[in-house]
Formats: sequence, C-alpha cells, structure tokens
Amino acid sequence: MLLEDTSEGDCLVVSLKEQRLDAVIAASFKEALLERIDHGQHNIVLDMAYVNFMDSSGLGAVVAILKHLGDKGRLRICRVTPAVMAVLKLTRMDRIFRTFETLQAAIAA
Amino acid sequence: MATARANSRGPARGRFKVFNPLTDNLGAMTSRPKVSADPDRKSLQSAVDYHLEVTLAKGSHNADPCDYHLALALAIREPVIRAMNATEARVLRAGAKQIHYLSMEFLIGRLLANNLRNLGLYDTCAEVAADMGLTLADVLETECDPALGNGGLGRLAACFLDSLASLSYPGYGYGINYQFGLFRQTFMNGFQREQPDNWAVHGTPWHIERREQSSMIPIYGRLEGDLDDNGNYNPHWLDWNSLIGVPADIPVVGYGGQCVNFLRLYTARAPAEFDMAIFNDGDYLRAMERQVAVETVSKVLYPSDSAEAGRELRFIQEYFFVACAMRDIFRRHHGAGHRVDEFGQYNAIQLNDTHPALAVVELMRTLVDEHAMGWDAAWAITQQTTAYTNHTLLPEALERWSATLFGRVLPRHLEIVYEINRRFLGEVAVRHPGDDARLERMSIIQETPHKEIRMAHLAIVGSHSVNGVAEMHSELVKSQLVPDFYELWPGRFNNKTNGVTPRRWLLNCNHRLAALISEAIGSKWIADLAQLSRLEPLAADSAFRRDFREVKLKNKADLARRVRAVTGVIIDPNTMFDVQIKRIHEYKRQLLNALHIMHLYCRVTEDNLPLSSPKTFIFSGKAAPGYALAKLIIKLINNIARVVNADPRLNGSLRVVFYPDYKVSVAELIVPAAELSEQISTAGYEASGTGNMKLAMNGALTIGTLDGANVEIARDVGADNIYIFGLTAEQIVQRRLQGHAAQEVYDSNADVRRIMTRLVDGTFSSEEPGLFAPIARALLEQGDHYMHLSDFADYAHKHEQAARDYRDAERWTARAIANVARSAHFSSDRTIHEYATQIWDLRQVV
Repeated sequence: MLLEDTSEGDCLVVSLKEQRLDAVIAASFKEALLERIDHGQHNIVLDMAYVNFMDSSGLGAVVAILKHLGDKGRLRICRVTPAVMAVLKLTRMDRIFRTFETLQAAIAA
Repeated sequence: MATARANSRGPARGRFKVFNPLTDNLGAMTSRPKVSADPDRKSLQSAVDYHLEVTLAKGSHNADPCDYHLALALAIREPVIRAMNATEARVLRAGAKQIHYLSMEFLIGRLLANNLRNLGLYDTCAEVAADMGLTLADVLETECDPALGNGGLGRLAACFLDSLASLSYPGYGYGINYQFGLFRQTFMNGFQREQPDNWAVHGTPWHIERREQSSMIPIYGRLEGDLDDNGNYNPHWLDWNSLIGVPADIPVVGYGGQCVNFLRLYTARAPAEFDMAIFNDGDYLRAMERQVAVETVSKVLYPSDSAEAGRELRFIQEYFFVACAMRDIFRRHHGAGHRVDEFGQYNAIQLNDTHPALAVVELMRTLVDEHAMGWDAAWAITQQTTAYTNHTLLPEALERWSATLFGRVLPRHLEIVYEINRRFLGEVAVRHPGDDARLERMSIIQETPHKEIRMAHLAIVGSHSVNGVAEMHSELVKSQLVPDFYELWPGRFNNKTNGVTPRRWLLNCNHRLAALISEAIGSKWIADLAQLSRLEPLAADSAFRRDFREVKLKNKADLARRVRAVTGVIIDPNTMFDVQIKRIHEYKRQLLNALHIMHLYCRVTEDNLPLSSPKTFIFSGKAAPGYALAKLIIKLINNIARVVNADPRLNGSLRVVFYPDYKVSVAELIVPAAELSEQISTAGYEASGTGNMKLAMNGALTIGTLDGANVEIARDVGADNIYIFGLTAEQIVQRRLQGHAAQEVYDSNADVRRIMTRLVDGTFSSEEPGLFAPIARALLEQGDHYMHLSDFADYAHKHEQAARDYRDAERWTARAIANVARSAHFSSDRTIHEYATQIWDLRQVV
C-alpha cells in the first residue's frame, strides 16, 4: 500500500496512491491512519484521487478513522472519484463525511 | 479462388475461399468488407467469407454448419449494431420517454432467422448459402435456443420487445444472463430427466458485453443509525458484500430494420478476479470460493414451481437484476442531461409479475438516499414511473419473502418497505376507520404465522397501473385476488390482453402460410395484423382453401419427419394433428387430454368402435423438477404412447407423441402443423395463455374452456370456429361448495369408471401396475381439485364433434382460415400500443 504524506500548515494531507481500497489493504490503511492520529495529527485531509474502487472493508476503514478522530479533530476527503462517491451516496455516508472537489478547498475548509 | 471440398461433418460445400499464402493476395484477404444496411448478395458473401476465414480461422476443410452460422451472424451483426447505435442516437436527440421492461425471464428463442426476416435479408442469405452449397435452414438449425425462461411469461417479454422495436418505441428489456437456462429435458423409460442447459457454451454472436457499464451491487450487511447535521435520522449501510453486475446487450431488431433496441442481461461477477490477499497467503481454494459464490447469482434459472430450493439465492437474483437495471436507467437518464426530479417524465418501468417488485423499493432508496430527495417527492416519482403486470391467480405463485431473509440481505430496503407500509396503512385507516381486518388483509407485511413481505401488495401500492393479461383474468384480479385494493383505487386497475408477435409466430415459423397470405392480400399484414381480415372472403374461395390445405399438409409432413428423427415414432400427416404444447401443470390439464386418449383407445380396442377421424396427439412441455405429479403425468403420456402406438388393432388411426425438450424452436416447428389446439385449463386458472393465440393465428381450431384469452378468441373467431366445453369459473366455485363432484361423476359415468380402472390395472403400466395410483388418488380421493372428471364428458363430446367435422375438409379449412383472418386482436403490436398509450405515455421515435 502506498501512502504519501504532505504537510500544509497544521494540516496533514494523506494521499492514498492505490486504485482499490478494498479488503486487501483496508486493515493496513486503517492502522496507518490511526497511528498518525495517535501521534497527534488531528487535522487530516484524505486525498482519494487515485481510488476508483472501494468496497465495504474500505468504507469501514474510513469510518473507523473518522470515529477514532472523534471530537478531537477533523477529517476531510477530497478528489473523490465518481465510483467512490457512488458508494458514499449509496450508503448515505456522503452525509457524514465532508467531501471536497479539490485539495485546496479541503485544506482551506 | 479455391473450391471447397466436401466436409464429412457438414453438408457439401460449393464456392468458398481458402487462403493460399502462395497465390492469394494477403491484403485482399484480410481487408474487412463492410456490410451496408441493405447488403446485396455479393457483399454479404464477402462478409461471410471474411468472418469464416479471419474471425473464426476456419477453412472449407474444417468448417461445419455451426461455423457457417456464426460467420453469417457476424456478417449480419454489423448492420444490426449500426442500426442499434443510430436508434439510440435518435432517441437521445428526440428526448423521448423510454420504457424499461423488467423481467426475470426472456425466452427470446433463436435470433438469426428472425433477425434476417425482420431485416428483409432472409432470401438474400438463402441465396448466399446456396452459393456455398448449403441450405440456409440447415445453417439456422445449428443456433442454440437460449432457454432463459420457464414459459409464457418469458416468451411474452420477448414478443413485447419485438413489438416495441417493430413499432419504433424506445423500449428496453432488463434481465439476467443465466449461464444455465431451464434444464434440457430427456426421457428415460418415459420419465423426465433433467440435464443442465449450458446454452452459451459455444458462445453467441449476439451478446455485446458492456464491461465499462458494470455496476457494483451491495447485499447483506447492517444498518447503523445516526443523525445528520440537520438532526434527521440517517442510517448507514455498512459491512455489505459486493456483487458486480456486468451487462451484455442483445440487439432487438424491429421489423424493417429501422429501429433496433436492446435487451440488457446482467452477469454477476466478484469484485476482483479473486481475493488477492487470500491468494497471496497461498490459500488458492478459499480465494476462488468467494468468486464462485458470487457468480452463482447468475448461474441458474429457477424452474418456477421449485423456488423453495435456494430461496435466498432467488431473492438475491431478483434484487441483483433490479438494482443493476435501476443504476443503468439512472445512468442513461443523467447521461441524457435530465434532472433527477424529471425521472418519471422520461422513464417508465414495467414489472413483469412480482419478481422485479423490489424496483419500487430500489427506486425509493435511490431517490431518498442517493439523491437526498424528500419522501413525498420520491414516492410521487416512484408511482409515476412504475406499473405492474399480474400474471397469476394461483395463491402459491404469489411471492412472499420472509422479513428475516429480506432484512438480512437488504437491511436498508426492509426499513423502506416498513415506511411505505406505515404510510399506506395510514391512508387506508383514514378511509376505513376501525376496520382492522381490512388493514391486515391489505398490509404489505403479513404478520402471521410468519412475518412476510407480500410482493404483489408492494407492487400494487408502488405502481400507478395494475393490469391483468386477459379480460377475464383482469376481472378476477379485481373481484377475487385483491378486491380491497380495487375498492381503494379502481382507476389503477386495467386490462392488457396478451399478444404474440406475428413476425416470429407467423412470418418466420410458418413461411409457407406467410407467403400464401402475402400473395393473396399483400405483405402489409406483417406490420399491421388487422389486414388479415381481408382473408375472410377467401374462406369461400375453393382454390385458396386448396392452397391453404396444401400449406398445412406440408407443415405436417415437416413435423412428421422431425418427430420420426427425434422420437422414432412414425406419424401420418393425413391424420388430424391435435396439439397440446405448454408447461406441464395440473391446472393446464394435460391429464384430461391423456384420459381422453385412454378413452378413445378403449372405445376402439374394447367396444370395437372406430374413430370418427384418425388422430395424432402431440404433446410437448416440461414439468418443474420438484413437481412429482406433473412428472408422473409425463410418464403416463409416454406410457400411453408406447401402448397405443404399438397396438395393431388401431391400425395407425391413433398415434401419441411426446416431443422432448419443449422450447421456442420446438414450438416454431409444431405450431404451423397443428390443426386442433388444446387449451383446456381449469376455468379461472390460466391468466391468459399465448400458445392459444399462436395456434389460432396459424390456422388451428381451438378446443378449450372459457378461461384466459380463450374467451376473447371465442368471441373473435365466432362460436362456429371453436369448440368450447366445460364448467365456467363461477360453476367451478359452486361445484366445489357442493363437494364430492369427482365421486358423483365416477358413479354416474361408465366411461370415466373404465378409464379410472385402466389407469391402475396395468393397461398402461404393465411393468408396475400401481405406478399411476397417485394420479388416481388425486382424482378420486383428494377431490380432483382441477375438475378433470367433472369436465370429462363435455370434453369427450366436443372432441367427437371435432373429429366428425374434420371429415369435411373443405368446411374445416374454411374455419381454419377464419381463425387466421380473425386473429388480429392477438398481435403483441396491439398489446404494446395499448401499454404505450394507456400506461406508459410513450411516443414512437421514427
């Protein structure tokens, strides 16, 4: 699994450079993000531009990250592909996650 | 150009190009000949040559008729696909409303011959085949006949698609691409045996896979409730499993070739080829397991009467294709630039029975969850879009799904069903305060003995139109099946009598009669069946009658040859061909027909009474694998055939044949040869029937009950041209109330007593005398629910009348011509026009 971190002020941008967020990488993806949160990164933008398939394991990982962050921080998701957005809408998760069309908009929000 | 050598596996070949690298120009051989919309013989020939040599890599030394079939189909596919693309562009430009016909079954039959007829290329292709030393009919015979349905409901869907395209309506079918169709039927010692029907094993040239339009379909999982930013309930669907629905389109060529719509069938695939994580761990078998489980969803078609096995899989099948269809309809709707709130303006969805009734819930879920639409607006769109066709009055055939199963597979959908029901019952309660019994009867949820979802109620509540499929059936839907709903919404209920496409069921299957008709009145009847009324005066024309009889005799001779080849039984084309071809079911009463044949046999062999006319009884049909009594009826008919056909006392005057593996192509062979059409269901049980229409349209006289569309056939062809017998639906209800009907008939009718004795005394089961005791018990001890014995005397009487009438060939022919001339009402073009104008509000796009 390839994750790329960049810092924008106090914001950590995590870019998932994989095409599929599914059972194969969901657990390690979740662990990696929880680790960042536990190390004090509470303002996170998740860049999903590369991901064109997400199954329920992948969705479950993102939900777990959001829950782990709880009230102590913010998770924004940007550059969501249509296929992933369809999954978010289908499960009504689009009403939970804050999604942005561009990276800049997510950072500025 | 080289000349083909005769191939030992196929017919002799004539001119056929074989590539010789030493002498032939490679560029000339591989350049792809274009096939225009109206190709001549030469360009078609070049295209067939090209596909045979380049696409299929075959030469005259190893090509068999299957290869020629494929090459011809591939050559024709080109103009078909161009016309399909042009049709889609035209519909898009017109901004036209579209109808999406959702059906678990599409019995489409073989496609090449029908497509050639509709394209007007049949004769040109026959010439091309002749140039190759082949007979087109032999080539066409090699095409597989996809059995993607059980019977009438699936064939109706296929006829409707043909009419939609022929009438230039933008209409599309959605269903499942079953890997295994309905089983292949064989007989072993007269017993039905079921073999898998892997129909597409050799591939089909008509499927156009649209992998890029695949849909992800979630099932199972759980709901987690939450509140959104506005404090509203916001359930999340989590931990689901994914299916991927991969569509493949089959072009539906309308008559004239101007409009080519499509039937979109979905195959279930696993999200990835297999689970790579498990695969990488080295557990290869487990990695494959999930893929296999997912792909099972589009593996098998359930025989309708045995859905008990694998109910969960059947439920998932229903949701799978509905969900795929809905995503596709939305994709196309948005692609056309329309807004979500315009969905009902541009789309109509017809539910072919309750199998796709989940569409009501899926549409609501899509609008409310994915498009954040308010409930009331979403409900208005759902009702505006959806219409439901009821196909059965049999209580056991009305689908109900356990709420537990429903909630396990589709947790969010169950929640939506409960909400639909809560609001609906609120509406009923306002109309009928304090009437709890009514609420219980009408509820979408049946509370006792187990909580179940009544799919018919869901379909009725979620639709703006509910139709039956024949006048009598539609009345029974209102008065017996769901009278409470009719009282609540009388304007929602209507009738759309079924129909059959005259292209497949006259032009293509009975080309001799089609040619005779066209010679007499021109060919406009093919697109306007009302023209057939112009044949009416020709019934009095002795030359036309002679030609008509000659056509029938040739068709009978064709069938006789095939019967001999397939069953070994020799039948005489000069005898009356009496035909009963349909699914085997007690209510359809193949048993009544069998009992009557036993009666005729006894009259000849025991009473020394000759038959009034020599007769050949032809049966064909499959029994659901789990339906023991229906399978025993098949065995009885086969045993009767064995005894009767071997008895020299009959001197060939009575023959019985059970043609195996009934399917569309078998019907196309038998229908043109039929003279008497057995439509003898217990009155009140057959919703419509369409075999009755096909047979009348091809000049068979009907012997039938006042049931389903028989009532309308009787009205249209006139009492002189049909044999109606038996108790009416009302009389049957009365008779049941009186009780003991079967025993009374048995006591009072010596013929019936003799048949019942012969049924169990070993006359027809010498190897096992008690074999047919379960049938005897059903008739005498279990009350003869389907009234075989009560109707027997009248049935035998009408048969006798028909046999006597048949001796006057001139008069019989005139009556057969009257049946053809008066069959216009039974064209599916008429039915589709009614659906389009009265339910779908659809416009033709030309």
